[in-house]
Amino acid sequence: MPLIRKPDAAAPAPETASDLAGASADARWAAARAMTAPGDVDALAKALSHEQNPRVREAILTSLARIGTRQSAGAVAPLIASDDAQLRAGALDALRAMPGAVAELLPALLTDADADVRLLACELARVIPEGAATAMMCDLLDRETEVNVCASAIEVLTEVGSPEALPALERCATRFADPFLTFSARVAAERIGGRR
Amino acid sequence: MAEPARKRILVVDDASLVRMYYREALEAAGYEVDEALNGLEAMERLLSAPPALLIVDVNMPQMDGLTFLKVLRRQELPISGTPALVISTEAKPQDREAARAAGANYYLVKPVRPEVLTAYAALLTGRAA
Amino acid sequence: MEFVYRRTGMIFTEAKRYYVERRIADRMEAVGSATFASYFARLRTDQGGEVEQFINAFTVNETYFYREEHQLKCLTTDLLEERVRRRAPSDAVRIWSVPCSTGEEPYSLAIWLLENWRRVDAYEIEIVGSDIDTKALRAAEEGVFGKRALMRLPAELVERYFVPAEDEQWRILDDLRQSVRFSQVNLMDPAQTRPNGRFDVIFCRNVLIYFDDTARRIAAENLYENLAPGGFICLGHTESMSRISPLFEVRRFADAILYQRPIEGSDG
Repeated sequence: MPLIRKPDAAAPAPETASDLAGASADARWAAARAMTAPGDVDALAKALSHEQNPRVREAILTSLARIGTRQSAGAVAPLIASDDAQLRAGALDALRAMPGAVAELLPALLTDADADVRLLACELARVIPEGAATAMMCDLLDRETEVNVCASAIEVLTEVGSPEALPALERCATRFADPFLTFSARVAAERIGGRR
Repeated sequence: MAEPARKRILVVDDASLVRMYYREALEAAGYEVDEALNGLEAMERLLSAPPALLIVDVNMPQMDGLTFLKVLRRQELPISGTPALVISTEAKPQDREAARAAGANYYLVKPVRPEVLTAYAALLTGRAA
Repeated sequence: MEFVYRRTGMIFTEAKRYYVERRIADRMEAVGSATFASYFARLRTDQGGEVEQFINAFTVNETYFYREEHQLKCLTTDLLEERVRRRAPSDAVRIWSVPCSTGEEPYSLAIWLLENWRRVDAYEIEIVGSDIDTKALRAAEEGVFGKRALMRLPAELVERYFVPAEDEQWRILDDLRQSVRFSQVNLMDPAQTRPNGRFDVIFCRNVLIYFDDTARRIAAENLYENLAPGGFICLGHTESMSRISPLFEVRRFADAILYQRPIEGSDG
Protein backbone atom coordinates (compact mmCIF):
# COMPACT_ATOMS: atom_id res chain seq x y z
CA MET A 1 0.00 0.00 0.00
CA PRO A 2 1.76 3.14 -1.21
CA LEU A 3 -0.33 5.40 0.99
CA ILE A 4 1.42 6.35 4.17
CA ARG A 5 0.47 8.24 7.23
CA LYS A 6 2.86 10.11 9.42
CA PRO A 7 1.93 11.07 12.96
CA ASP A 8 3.41 14.55 12.59
CA ALA A 9 3.93 16.80 9.63
CA ALA A 10 6.49 15.42 7.23
CA ALA A 11 8.18 18.74 6.72
CA PRO A 12 9.28 21.34 9.25
CA ALA A 13 7.20 24.47 9.64
CA PRO A 14 8.03 26.53 6.53
CA GLU A 15 9.14 29.84 7.97
CA THR A 16 10.30 31.16 11.29
CA ALA A 17 9.70 34.75 12.12
CA SER A 18 12.57 37.10 11.60
CA ASP A 19 12.64 40.83 11.07
CA LEU A 20 11.35 43.09 8.37
CA ALA A 21 14.86 43.98 7.31
CA GLY A 22 15.88 40.34 6.95
CA ALA A 23 18.15 39.30 4.13
CA SER A 24 15.80 36.77 2.61
CA ALA A 25 12.35 37.42 1.19
CA ASP A 26 11.04 34.46 3.19
CA ALA A 27 12.23 35.99 6.46
CA ARG A 28 10.69 39.37 5.64
CA TRP A 29 7.48 37.65 4.55
CA ALA A 30 7.22 35.82 7.84
CA ALA A 31 7.95 38.97 9.79
CA ALA A 32 5.34 41.00 7.92
CA ARG A 33 2.70 38.33 8.42
CA ALA A 34 3.35 38.21 12.14
CA MET A 35 2.87 41.96 12.62
CA THR A 36 -0.85 42.44 13.08
CA ALA A 37 -1.16 44.84 16.01
CA PRO A 38 -2.17 48.49 15.61
CA GLY A 39 1.19 49.47 17.05
CA ASP A 40 2.91 47.81 14.10
CA VAL A 41 1.59 50.25 11.52
CA ASP A 42 4.63 52.52 11.55
CA ALA A 43 7.08 49.66 11.11
CA LEU A 44 5.01 48.11 8.36
CA ALA A 45 4.63 51.43 6.55
CA LYS A 46 8.36 52.02 6.73
CA ALA A 47 9.11 48.56 5.37
CA LEU A 48 6.59 49.07 2.58
CA SER A 49 8.32 52.20 1.39
CA HIS A 50 11.44 50.30 0.38
CA GLU A 51 10.33 46.71 -0.11
CA GLN A 52 10.91 45.58 -3.70
CA ASN A 53 9.81 41.98 -3.50
CA PRO A 54 6.17 41.79 -4.69
CA ARG A 55 5.27 38.85 -2.46
CA VAL A 56 6.59 40.55 0.67
CA ARG A 57 4.81 43.76 -0.31
CA GLU A 58 1.57 41.82 -0.54
CA ALA A 59 2.13 40.39 2.93
CA ILE A 60 2.82 43.85 4.37
CA LEU A 61 -0.32 45.21 2.72
CA THR A 62 -2.37 42.30 4.03
CA SER A 63 -1.21 43.02 7.56
CA LEU A 64 -2.03 46.71 7.15
CA ALA A 65 -5.46 45.80 5.77
CA ARG A 66 -6.00 43.46 8.65
CA ILE A 67 -5.15 46.13 11.20
CA GLY A 68 -7.59 48.33 9.32
CA THR A 69 -7.31 51.45 11.46
CA ARG A 70 -7.47 55.01 10.19
CA GLN A 71 -3.70 55.17 10.69
CA SER A 72 -3.20 52.00 8.73
CA ALA A 73 -5.25 53.23 5.79
CA GLY A 74 -3.46 56.55 6.02
CA ALA A 75 -0.15 54.74 5.61
CA VAL A 76 -1.31 52.96 2.47
CA ALA A 77 -3.18 55.79 0.75
CA PRO A 78 -0.12 57.75 -0.48
CA LEU A 79 0.93 54.72 -2.52
CA ILE A 80 -1.96 55.36 -4.88
CA ALA A 81 0.25 58.06 -6.36
CA SER A 82 3.20 55.71 -6.96
CA ASP A 83 4.85 55.42 -10.37
CA ASP A 84 4.82 51.66 -9.94
CA ALA A 85 1.61 50.15 -11.35
CA GLN A 86 1.89 47.05 -9.20
CA LEU A 87 2.28 49.07 -6.04
CA ARG A 88 -0.73 51.23 -6.94
CA ALA A 89 -2.84 48.13 -7.52
CA GLY A 90 -1.66 46.58 -4.27
CA ALA A 91 -2.43 49.73 -2.32
CA LEU A 92 -5.94 49.93 -3.74
CA ASP A 93 -6.62 46.28 -3.00
CA ALA A 94 -5.56 46.81 0.60
CA LEU A 95 -7.69 49.95 0.94
CA ARG A 96 -10.68 48.13 -0.52
CA ALA A 97 -10.37 45.71 2.37
CA MET A 98 -10.65 48.59 4.88
CA PRO A 99 -14.03 50.15 4.10
CA GLY A 100 -14.48 51.85 7.47
CA ALA A 101 -11.16 53.65 7.37
CA VAL A 102 -11.48 54.46 3.69
CA ALA A 103 -14.70 56.39 4.22
CA GLU A 104 -12.79 58.92 6.29
CA LEU A 105 -10.00 59.32 3.79
CA LEU A 106 -12.03 59.62 0.64
CA PRO A 107 -12.99 63.29 0.74
CA ALA A 108 -9.34 64.29 0.77
CA LEU A 109 -8.35 61.77 -1.89
CA LEU A 110 -11.16 62.92 -4.18
CA THR A 111 -9.88 66.48 -4.03
CA ASP A 112 -6.20 65.63 -4.41
CA ALA A 113 -4.23 67.87 -6.78
CA ASP A 114 -3.15 64.83 -8.79
CA ALA A 115 -5.85 63.74 -11.25
CA ASP A 116 -4.50 60.19 -11.25
CA VAL A 117 -5.08 59.99 -7.50
CA ARG A 118 -8.63 61.33 -7.81
CA LEU A 119 -9.33 58.81 -10.54
CA LEU A 120 -8.15 55.80 -8.57
CA ALA A 121 -9.79 57.06 -5.39
CA CYS A 122 -13.20 56.88 -7.09
CA GLU A 123 -12.78 53.12 -7.13
CA LEU A 124 -12.75 53.13 -3.35
CA ALA A 125 -16.22 54.64 -3.21
CA ARG A 126 -17.52 51.20 -4.11
CA VAL A 127 -16.81 49.91 -0.63
CA ILE A 128 -18.48 52.65 1.40
CA PRO A 129 -22.21 52.87 2.07
CA GLU A 130 -24.21 53.63 -1.06
CA GLY A 131 -25.71 56.90 0.07
CA ALA A 132 -22.32 58.39 0.87
CA ALA A 133 -20.84 56.97 -2.32
CA THR A 134 -23.54 58.49 -4.51
CA ALA A 135 -23.20 61.86 -2.82
CA MET A 136 -19.42 61.95 -3.20
CA MET A 137 -19.47 60.85 -6.83
CA CYS A 138 -22.16 63.38 -7.76
CA ASP A 139 -20.26 66.11 -6.02
CA LEU A 140 -17.18 65.15 -8.01
CA LEU A 141 -19.06 65.09 -11.30
CA ASP A 142 -20.13 68.68 -10.81
CA ARG A 143 -16.67 70.11 -10.19
CA GLU A 144 -14.16 67.76 -11.85
CA THR A 145 -12.09 69.08 -14.74
CA GLU A 146 -10.60 65.84 -16.03
CA VAL A 147 -12.75 63.66 -18.28
CA ASN A 148 -11.13 60.38 -17.16
CA VAL A 149 -11.82 61.12 -13.51
CA CYS A 150 -15.48 61.70 -14.38
CA ALA A 151 -15.51 58.43 -16.29
CA SER A 152 -14.20 56.67 -13.22
CA ALA A 153 -16.92 58.23 -11.05
CA ILE A 154 -19.61 57.24 -13.55
CA GLU A 155 -18.32 53.67 -13.55
CA VAL A 156 -18.74 53.55 -9.79
CA LEU A 157 -22.23 55.06 -9.97
CA THR A 158 -23.20 52.33 -12.40
CA GLU A 159 -22.73 49.86 -9.58
CA VAL A 160 -23.80 51.79 -6.49
CA GLY A 161 -25.61 54.90 -7.68
CA SER A 162 -29.14 55.72 -6.66
CA PRO A 163 -31.62 57.77 -8.74
CA GLU A 164 -30.43 60.98 -7.04
CA ALA A 165 -27.40 60.73 -9.29
CA LEU A 166 -29.30 61.12 -12.54
CA PRO A 167 -29.23 64.92 -12.79
CA ALA A 168 -25.51 65.11 -12.05
CA LEU A 169 -24.84 62.47 -14.69
CA GLU A 170 -26.67 64.44 -17.28
CA ARG A 171 -24.97 67.71 -16.38
CA CYS A 172 -21.56 66.08 -16.63
CA ALA A 173 -22.17 64.48 -19.99
CA THR A 174 -23.40 67.79 -21.37
CA ARG A 175 -20.45 69.69 -19.94
CA PHE A 176 -17.82 67.52 -21.63
CA ALA A 177 -19.53 66.39 -24.81
CA ASP A 178 -17.04 63.51 -25.04
CA PRO A 179 -18.30 60.38 -26.86
CA PHE A 180 -17.17 57.95 -24.17
CA LEU A 181 -18.51 60.08 -21.35
CA THR A 182 -21.84 60.50 -23.12
CA PHE A 183 -22.02 56.76 -23.65
CA SER A 184 -21.09 56.08 -20.02
CA ALA A 185 -23.60 58.53 -18.60
CA ARG A 186 -26.34 57.01 -20.73
CA VAL A 187 -25.59 53.44 -19.66
CA ALA A 188 -25.22 54.48 -16.04
CA ALA A 189 -28.56 56.27 -16.12
CA GLU A 190 -30.21 53.19 -17.61
CA ARG A 191 -28.77 50.94 -14.94
CA ILE A 192 -29.60 53.28 -12.10
CA GLY A 193 -33.06 54.11 -13.43
CA GLY A 194 -33.88 50.43 -13.64
CA ARG A 195 -33.00 50.13 -10.01
CA ARG A 196 -35.99 52.13 -8.85
CA MET B 1 -16.96 31.49 -50.49
CA ALA B 2 -16.82 30.71 -46.77
CA GLU B 3 -16.44 33.68 -44.45
CA PRO B 4 -13.11 33.79 -42.66
CA ALA B 5 -13.31 33.17 -38.92
CA ARG B 6 -13.64 36.36 -36.91
CA LYS B 7 -10.50 37.43 -35.14
CA ARG B 8 -10.72 37.40 -31.40
CA ILE B 9 -9.74 40.35 -29.23
CA LEU B 10 -9.38 40.08 -25.46
CA VAL B 11 -10.28 43.31 -23.67
CA VAL B 12 -8.74 43.55 -20.22
CA ASP B 13 -10.15 46.39 -18.12
CA ASP B 14 -11.83 46.51 -14.72
CA ALA B 15 -14.33 49.15 -15.86
CA SER B 16 -17.51 47.58 -17.24
CA LEU B 17 -18.33 50.72 -19.23
CA VAL B 18 -14.96 50.68 -20.97
CA ARG B 19 -15.34 47.01 -21.87
CA MET B 20 -18.83 47.67 -23.17
CA TYR B 21 -17.70 50.67 -25.20
CA TYR B 22 -14.83 48.77 -26.81
CA ARG B 23 -17.02 45.74 -27.41
CA GLU B 24 -19.54 47.79 -29.38
CA ALA B 25 -16.90 49.33 -31.56
CA LEU B 26 -14.96 46.13 -32.12
CA GLU B 27 -17.95 43.90 -32.78
CA ALA B 28 -19.27 46.43 -35.28
CA ALA B 29 -15.91 46.14 -37.02
CA GLY B 30 -16.26 42.38 -37.20
CA TYR B 31 -14.20 41.11 -34.28
CA GLU B 32 -15.08 38.57 -31.66
CA VAL B 33 -14.61 40.08 -28.20
CA ASP B 34 -13.70 38.42 -24.89
CA GLU B 35 -13.39 40.22 -21.58
CA ALA B 36 -11.35 40.00 -18.39
CA LEU B 37 -11.45 42.20 -15.31
CA ASN B 38 -7.82 42.02 -14.26
CA GLY B 39 -4.47 40.59 -15.30
CA LEU B 40 -4.90 37.26 -13.58
CA GLU B 41 -8.29 36.68 -15.18
CA ALA B 42 -6.76 37.70 -18.49
CA MET B 43 -4.20 34.90 -18.14
CA GLU B 44 -7.02 32.44 -17.58
CA ARG B 45 -8.94 33.62 -20.63
CA LEU B 46 -5.83 33.68 -22.77
CA LEU B 47 -5.01 30.11 -21.93
CA SER B 48 -8.55 28.99 -22.73
CA ALA B 49 -9.14 30.99 -25.90
CA PRO B 50 -6.03 32.60 -27.47
CA PRO B 51 -6.85 35.97 -29.03
CA ALA B 52 -5.27 37.73 -31.98
CA LEU B 53 -4.90 40.92 -29.93
CA LEU B 54 -4.86 42.06 -26.32
CA ILE B 55 -6.25 45.44 -25.32
CA VAL B 56 -5.02 46.06 -21.81
CA ASP B 57 -5.73 48.69 -19.16
CA VAL B 58 -3.02 49.43 -16.62
CA ASN B 59 -4.77 50.09 -13.31
CA MET B 60 -6.72 46.99 -12.29
CA PRO B 61 -7.18 45.08 -9.03
CA GLN B 62 -5.10 42.01 -8.10
CA MET B 63 -2.87 42.17 -11.13
CA ASP B 64 -2.24 45.36 -13.07
CA GLY B 65 -1.85 45.38 -16.83
CA LEU B 66 1.91 45.86 -16.88
CA THR B 67 2.58 43.00 -14.48
CA PHE B 68 0.29 40.86 -16.62
CA LEU B 69 2.26 41.70 -19.76
CA LYS B 70 5.57 41.04 -18.06
CA VAL B 71 4.38 37.64 -16.86
CA LEU B 72 2.99 36.84 -20.28
CA ARG B 73 6.12 37.86 -22.18
CA ARG B 74 8.38 35.73 -20.04
CA GLN B 75 6.44 32.51 -20.56
CA GLU B 76 7.66 30.34 -23.37
CA LEU B 77 4.29 29.68 -24.91
CA PRO B 78 2.89 30.57 -28.34
CA ILE B 79 0.55 33.08 -26.72
CA SER B 80 3.46 34.95 -25.16
CA GLY B 81 3.96 36.95 -28.33
CA THR B 82 0.34 38.09 -28.70
CA PRO B 83 0.27 41.74 -29.78
CA ALA B 84 -0.78 44.08 -26.99
CA LEU B 85 -2.30 47.53 -27.15
CA VAL B 86 -2.17 49.26 -23.78
CA ILE B 87 -4.86 51.88 -23.25
CA SER B 88 -4.55 53.76 -20.00
CA THR B 89 -5.49 56.98 -18.26
CA GLU B 90 -1.85 57.53 -17.34
CA ALA B 91 -0.39 60.17 -19.63
CA LYS B 92 3.13 60.83 -18.40
CA PRO B 93 6.14 59.84 -20.57
CA GLN B 94 7.36 57.44 -17.90
CA ASP B 95 4.03 55.61 -18.03
CA ARG B 96 4.42 55.10 -21.77
CA GLU B 97 7.98 53.92 -21.22
CA ALA B 98 6.95 51.52 -18.50
CA ALA B 99 4.36 50.01 -20.83
CA ARG B 100 6.92 49.57 -23.59
CA ALA B 101 9.33 47.97 -21.17
CA ALA B 102 6.60 45.57 -20.04
CA GLY B 103 5.99 44.45 -23.59
CA ALA B 104 3.28 46.67 -25.02
CA ASN B 105 3.30 47.12 -28.78
CA TYR B 106 1.42 50.40 -28.68
CA TYR B 107 0.19 52.77 -26.02
CA LEU B 108 -2.86 55.00 -26.13
CA VAL B 109 -4.28 57.44 -23.58
CA LYS B 110 -7.96 57.35 -22.67
CA PRO B 111 -10.50 58.30 -23.78
CA VAL B 112 -10.07 56.62 -27.14
CA ARG B 113 -12.43 57.24 -30.04
CA PRO B 114 -14.00 54.13 -31.57
CA GLU B 115 -12.46 54.77 -34.97
CA VAL B 116 -8.99 55.02 -33.44
CA LEU B 117 -9.56 51.78 -31.56
CA THR B 118 -10.62 49.88 -34.64
CA ALA B 119 -7.77 51.34 -36.70
CA TYR B 120 -5.23 50.05 -34.19
CA ALA B 121 -7.05 46.73 -33.97
CA ALA B 122 -6.79 46.35 -37.74
CA LEU B 123 -3.13 47.29 -37.67
CA LEU B 124 -2.22 44.89 -34.90
CA THR B 125 -4.25 41.95 -36.16
CA GLY B 126 -2.81 42.37 -39.63
CA ARG B 127 -6.05 43.20 -41.33
CA ALA B 128 -6.51 45.72 -44.08
CA ALA B 129 -7.86 48.80 -42.26
CA MET C 1 -23.22 40.29 -10.98
CA GLU C 2 -19.94 42.07 -10.91
CA PHE C 3 -20.53 42.80 -7.30
CA VAL C 4 -21.04 39.10 -6.63
CA TYR C 5 -17.82 38.34 -8.43
CA ARG C 6 -15.97 41.04 -6.59
CA ARG C 7 -17.26 39.94 -3.22
CA THR C 8 -17.15 36.19 -3.51
CA GLY C 9 -14.98 35.31 -6.47
CA MET C 10 -17.76 33.18 -7.93
CA ILE C 11 -18.04 33.39 -11.68
CA PHE C 12 -21.07 32.58 -13.77
CA THR C 13 -21.27 32.11 -17.47
CA GLU C 14 -24.02 33.62 -19.58
CA ALA C 15 -25.56 30.18 -19.82
CA LYS C 16 -26.17 30.17 -16.09
CA ARG C 17 -28.00 33.48 -16.13
CA TYR C 18 -31.48 32.03 -15.78
CA TYR C 19 -30.30 29.88 -12.91
CA VAL C 20 -28.78 32.91 -11.23
CA GLU C 21 -31.91 35.00 -11.67
CA ARG C 22 -34.06 32.26 -10.16
CA ARG C 23 -31.80 31.99 -7.11
CA ILE C 24 -31.94 35.75 -6.63
CA ALA C 25 -35.72 35.71 -6.90
CA ASP C 26 -35.80 32.96 -4.27
CA ARG C 27 -33.65 34.96 -1.90
CA MET C 28 -35.70 38.11 -2.45
CA GLU C 29 -38.79 36.22 -1.48
CA ALA C 30 -37.10 34.66 1.52
CA VAL C 31 -36.05 38.00 2.94
CA GLY C 32 -39.07 39.97 1.78
CA SER C 33 -37.33 42.37 -0.58
CA ALA C 34 -39.86 43.91 -2.93
CA THR C 35 -37.35 45.33 -5.35
CA PHE C 36 -34.03 44.21 -6.65
CA ALA C 37 -32.54 47.48 -5.43
CA SER C 38 -33.48 46.78 -1.84
CA TYR C 39 -32.22 43.21 -2.07
CA PHE C 40 -28.97 44.37 -3.57
CA ALA C 41 -28.52 46.90 -0.79
CA ARG C 42 -29.05 44.09 1.70
CA LEU C 43 -26.47 41.98 -0.04
CA ARG C 44 -23.91 44.76 -0.22
CA THR C 45 -24.14 45.48 3.47
CA ASP C 46 -24.39 41.80 4.35
CA GLN C 47 -27.52 42.47 6.34
CA GLY C 48 -28.56 39.46 8.37
CA GLY C 49 -25.66 37.51 6.93
CA GLU C 50 -27.24 37.62 3.48
CA VAL C 51 -23.95 37.07 1.66
CA GLU C 52 -23.61 33.63 3.17
CA GLN C 53 -27.24 32.83 2.44
CA PHE C 54 -26.73 33.97 -1.10
CA ILE C 55 -23.65 31.85 -1.59
CA ASN C 56 -25.36 28.85 -0.04
CA ALA C 57 -28.16 29.23 -2.55
CA PHE C 58 -25.58 28.68 -5.27
CA THR C 59 -23.18 26.14 -3.97
CA VAL C 60 -24.11 22.56 -3.71
CA ASN C 61 -22.59 21.81 -0.38
CA GLU C 62 -23.32 18.19 -0.68
CA THR C 63 -20.13 16.23 -0.71
CA TYR C 64 -19.68 12.87 -2.32
CA PHE C 65 -16.99 10.60 -3.70
CA TYR C 66 -15.42 11.49 -7.01
CA ARG C 67 -16.87 14.96 -7.05
CA GLU C 68 -15.44 17.08 -9.90
CA GLU C 69 -13.75 14.10 -11.45
CA HIS C 70 -12.08 16.25 -14.10
CA GLN C 71 -9.87 17.69 -11.38
CA LEU C 72 -8.92 14.21 -10.20
CA LYS C 73 -8.04 13.39 -13.78
CA CYS C 74 -5.87 16.46 -13.98
CA LEU C 75 -4.11 15.32 -10.83
CA THR C 76 -2.91 12.02 -12.21
CA THR C 77 -2.54 13.00 -15.85
CA ASP C 78 -0.70 16.28 -15.38
CA LEU C 79 -0.01 17.52 -11.88
CA LEU C 80 1.67 14.56 -10.29
CA GLU C 81 3.63 13.79 -13.43
CA GLU C 82 5.06 17.26 -13.25
CA ARG C 83 5.66 17.07 -9.53
CA VAL C 84 7.64 13.82 -9.62
CA ARG C 85 9.67 14.63 -12.70
CA ARG C 86 12.94 15.05 -10.86
CA ARG C 87 12.08 13.44 -7.58
CA ALA C 88 13.65 10.55 -5.72
CA PRO C 89 11.21 7.79 -4.82
CA SER C 90 12.01 8.36 -1.18
CA ASP C 91 10.48 11.82 -1.39
CA ALA C 92 6.83 11.40 -0.51
CA VAL C 93 4.09 12.94 -2.61
CA ARG C 94 1.87 15.01 -0.31
CA ILE C 95 -1.69 16.03 -1.03
CA TRP C 96 -3.95 18.14 1.15
CA SER C 97 -7.71 18.23 1.19
CA VAL C 98 -8.88 21.28 3.10
CA PRO C 99 -11.66 21.58 4.09
CA CYS C 100 -12.21 17.83 4.02
CA SER C 101 -15.63 17.82 5.68
CA THR C 102 -16.66 14.23 6.44
CA GLY C 103 -13.82 12.72 4.43
CA GLU C 104 -15.26 12.09 0.97
CA GLU C 105 -12.59 14.16 -0.73
CA PRO C 106 -9.44 12.74 0.89
CA TYR C 107 -10.68 9.17 0.54
CA SER C 108 -11.65 9.89 -3.07
CA LEU C 109 -8.12 11.04 -3.67
CA ALA C 110 -6.77 7.85 -2.19
CA ILE C 111 -9.00 5.60 -4.25
CA TRP C 112 -8.48 7.59 -7.40
CA LEU C 113 -4.71 7.39 -7.07
CA LEU C 114 -4.71 3.69 -6.41
CA GLU C 115 -6.94 3.13 -9.42
CA ASN C 116 -5.55 5.66 -11.89
CA TRP C 117 -2.01 6.76 -11.20
CA ARG C 118 0.42 4.63 -13.10
CA ARG C 119 3.24 5.51 -10.73
CA VAL C 120 1.27 4.86 -7.58
CA ASP C 121 3.57 2.05 -6.48
CA ALA C 122 6.74 4.01 -7.16
CA TYR C 123 6.17 6.69 -4.56
CA GLU C 124 4.99 7.07 -1.04
CA ILE C 125 1.84 9.14 -0.98
CA GLU C 126 0.70 11.07 2.02
CA ILE C 127 -2.86 12.36 2.05
CA VAL C 128 -3.99 14.76 4.75
CA GLY C 129 -7.57 15.87 5.32
CA SER C 130 -8.28 18.94 7.45
CA ASP C 131 -11.34 20.83 8.58
CA ILE C 132 -12.36 23.37 11.19
CA ASP C 133 -15.29 21.19 12.23
CA THR C 134 -14.23 18.52 14.70
CA LYS C 135 -17.51 16.65 14.40
CA ALA C 136 -16.95 16.28 10.68
CA LEU C 137 -13.40 15.12 11.33
CA ARG C 138 -14.55 12.43 13.71
CA ALA C 139 -17.00 11.21 11.10
CA ALA C 140 -14.21 11.23 8.53
CA GLU C 141 -12.05 9.08 10.76
CA GLU C 142 -14.92 6.64 11.17
CA GLY C 143 -15.08 6.34 7.40
CA VAL C 144 -18.72 5.32 7.17
CA PHE C 145 -20.78 6.56 4.23
CA GLY C 146 -24.28 6.27 2.86
CA LYS C 147 -25.55 5.58 -0.64
CA ARG C 148 -25.74 9.21 -1.65
CA ALA C 149 -22.07 9.78 -0.95
CA LEU C 150 -21.13 6.76 -3.03
CA MET C 151 -23.45 7.41 -5.95
CA ARG C 152 -20.70 8.39 -8.37
CA LEU C 153 -18.50 5.43 -7.62
CA PRO C 154 -18.71 2.43 -9.93
CA ALA C 155 -19.98 -0.66 -8.11
CA GLU C 156 -16.67 -2.44 -8.48
CA LEU C 157 -14.87 0.32 -6.59
CA VAL C 158 -17.38 0.16 -3.77
CA GLU C 159 -16.79 -3.60 -3.66
CA ARG C 160 -13.06 -3.17 -3.68
CA TYR C 161 -12.62 -0.44 -1.09
CA PHE C 162 -15.58 -0.67 1.26
CA VAL C 163 -17.21 -3.23 3.49
CA PRO C 164 -20.93 -3.14 4.17
CA ALA C 165 -21.94 -1.67 7.50
CA GLU C 166 -25.39 -1.50 9.06
CA ASP C 167 -28.27 0.68 7.82
CA GLU C 168 -27.34 0.61 4.12
CA GLN C 169 -23.99 2.16 4.80
CA TRP C 170 -20.51 1.28 3.78
CA ARG C 171 -17.28 1.56 5.69
CA ILE C 172 -14.02 2.25 3.98
CA LEU C 173 -11.36 -0.45 4.30
CA ASP C 174 -9.26 -0.16 7.43
CA ASP C 175 -6.07 -0.07 5.37
CA LEU C 176 -7.27 2.98 3.56
CA ARG C 177 -8.91 4.56 6.55
CA GLN C 178 -5.72 4.41 8.54
CA SER C 179 -3.59 5.77 5.73
CA VAL C 180 -5.20 9.20 5.66
CA ARG C 181 -4.32 11.63 8.42
CA PHE C 182 -6.94 14.06 9.66
CA SER C 183 -6.24 17.31 11.45
CA GLN C 184 -8.23 20.25 12.71
CA VAL C 185 -7.40 23.42 10.85
CA ASN C 186 -8.76 26.93 10.70
CA LEU C 187 -7.53 28.25 7.35
CA MET C 188 -7.17 31.70 8.81
CA ASP C 189 -4.67 30.68 11.44
CA PRO C 190 -1.08 29.98 10.37
CA ALA C 191 -0.40 28.34 13.73
CA GLN C 192 -2.89 25.68 12.65
CA THR C 193 -2.02 25.48 8.97
CA ARG C 194 1.78 25.47 9.21
CA PRO C 195 2.24 22.24 11.16
CA ASN C 196 0.71 20.35 8.25
CA GLY C 197 3.83 20.97 6.24
CA ARG C 198 4.30 21.54 2.53
CA PHE C 199 2.26 19.88 -0.15
CA ASP C 200 2.54 19.08 -3.82
CA VAL C 201 -1.17 19.61 -4.39
CA ILE C 202 -3.80 21.30 -2.25
CA PHE C 203 -7.51 20.89 -2.90
CA CYS C 204 -9.29 23.85 -1.36
CA ARG C 205 -12.75 23.85 -2.82
CA ASN C 206 -15.78 25.97 -2.10
CA VAL C 207 -14.59 27.66 1.04
CA LEU C 208 -12.69 30.78 0.04
CA ILE C 209 -15.81 32.22 -1.56
CA TYR C 210 -17.30 32.59 1.90
CA PHE C 211 -14.50 34.79 3.15
CA ASP C 212 -14.29 38.56 2.96
CA ASP C 213 -11.39 40.36 1.26
CA THR C 214 -9.00 40.38 4.16
CA ALA C 215 -9.77 36.83 5.21
CA ARG C 216 -9.18 35.56 1.71
CA ARG C 217 -5.83 37.28 1.51
CA ILE C 218 -4.77 35.73 4.78
CA ALA C 219 -6.03 32.27 3.83
CA ALA C 220 -4.31 32.51 0.43
CA GLU C 221 -1.04 33.46 2.09
CA ASN C 222 -1.37 30.55 4.48
CA LEU C 223 -2.02 28.18 1.62
CA TYR C 224 0.98 29.58 -0.21
CA GLU C 225 3.16 28.67 2.75
CA ASN C 226 1.79 25.15 2.67
CA LEU C 227 2.74 24.65 -0.95
CA ALA C 228 6.12 23.39 -2.04
CA PRO C 229 7.62 25.63 -4.75
CA GLY C 230 5.90 24.57 -7.96
CA GLY C 231 3.05 23.03 -5.98
CA PHE C 232 -0.53 23.38 -7.15
CA ILE C 233 -3.72 24.60 -5.60
CA CYS C 234 -7.07 23.52 -6.93
CA LEU C 235 -10.24 25.52 -6.24
CA GLY C 236 -13.89 24.75 -6.94
CA HIS C 237 -14.84 24.95 -10.59
CA THR C 238 -16.69 28.25 -10.27
CA GLU C 239 -13.92 29.82 -8.22
CA SER C 240 -11.09 31.89 -9.54
CA MET C 241 -7.90 32.99 -7.83
CA SER C 242 -8.08 36.23 -9.77
CA ARG C 243 -10.27 37.67 -7.05
CA ILE C 244 -8.19 36.28 -4.24
CA SER C 245 -4.48 36.81 -4.54
CA PRO C 246 -1.75 37.72 -7.00
CA LEU C 247 0.67 35.28 -5.35
CA PHE C 248 -0.10 32.39 -7.68
CA GLU C 249 0.52 31.72 -11.35
CA VAL C 250 -2.22 30.42 -13.58
CA ARG C 251 -1.71 27.03 -15.19
CA ARG C 252 -4.09 25.54 -17.64
CA PHE C 253 -4.36 21.84 -18.31
CA ALA C 254 -6.72 19.82 -20.45
CA ASP C 255 -9.06 19.13 -17.58
CA ALA C 256 -8.74 22.12 -15.27
CA ILE C 257 -7.35 25.54 -14.53
CA LEU C 258 -5.14 25.57 -11.45
CA TYR C 259 -2.88 27.94 -9.58
CA GLN C 260 0.75 27.31 -8.89
CA ARG C 261 3.27 28.59 -6.39
CA PRO C 262 6.19 29.86 -8.49
CA ILE C 263 9.17 27.56 -8.64
CA GLU C 264 11.99 30.04 -8.42
CA GLY C 265 12.06 31.54 -4.99
CA SER C 266 11.95 35.28 -5.46
CA ASP C 267 14.67 36.37 -3.18
CA GLY C 268 16.30 39.50 -1.87
